Amino acid sequence: MTFPLYYFLLIYLLFILLWLIFSLVAVYHMIKFSFKNFTGFFATFIFIGVSIFILMESYNYLSRIDWEMNVIVFENMFNHKLPF
Amino acid sequence: MLSIYRLPNHLPDEKIIKVVRRDLFILIKKIGLFALLVILPLGFFLMMINTFPVLLAGQISLPLIMISASAYYLFVWLLFFFSFIDYYLDVWIITDERIIDIQQKGFFSRVISEQRLYRVQDVTSEAHGFFPTILKYGEVYIQTAGAKQRFLFHEVPDPEGVRNMIIKLSEKNKEKYKLL
Repeated sequence: MTFPLYYFLLIYLLFILLWLIFSLVAVYHMIKFSFKNFTGFFATFIFIGVSIFILMESYNYLSRIDWEMNVIVFENMFNHKLPF
Repeated sequence: MLSIYRLPNHLPDEKIIKVVRRDLFILIKKIGLFALLVILPLGFFLMMINTFPVLLAGQISLPLIMISASAYYLFVWLLFFFSFIDYYLDVWIITDERIIDIQQKGFFSRVISEQRLYRVQDVTSEAHGFFPTILKYGEVYIQTAGAKQRFLFHEVPDPEGVRNMIIKLSEKNKEKYKLL
């Protein structure tokens, strides 16, 4: 069976979309209910900062990969003669 | 410090006496678990690379490793932030008039209950276990005559101090309203 490598990227992008939705919900709760004090803002700032760092690093590595390449799995798997 | 104007339904001349959250040790435990979730896969990854160096050169294995690592760390980071929100948004506010219990029960579910101090009937503090005894944190139960009969301050620092403070404030409040 052959399929392009970017299928994995699509699954990853779907995960990122879900992750972004949950992140927005978390940040919304923090801003709305944390009494708008320094700790609340600082924690939110750190969360957004580290998230951007992880996303940028991921983009940095993933952009170097050739996603058009084909993945071949299970080829000739069942054509081998059994040793007995 | 919490502003009096951000109190739910703040009363005239009401003063905030203490804002209580769960003990800092609870947050440190969460940070420890998060650190473990960050470090353990790194150790596993290094072990795998030493055993199968070809993994990093593979045209398919490398993208899969990168995608998995990115997704895993984003997930763990969000999980930690959720955990921090759960810690930070659960708060008990003691004022000179009432006790306010604010509980964040997951997302889009927030419970705020309050009880006037003159309704307090009984206050009990408890610390069970090794860490709660050594680090002086535990539970404070407040029995009241209100609709929500029992308030629980969960894993709060210095439960005995909090109990004494509530008893004193309650007595003062009862005197103020001539209930004693």
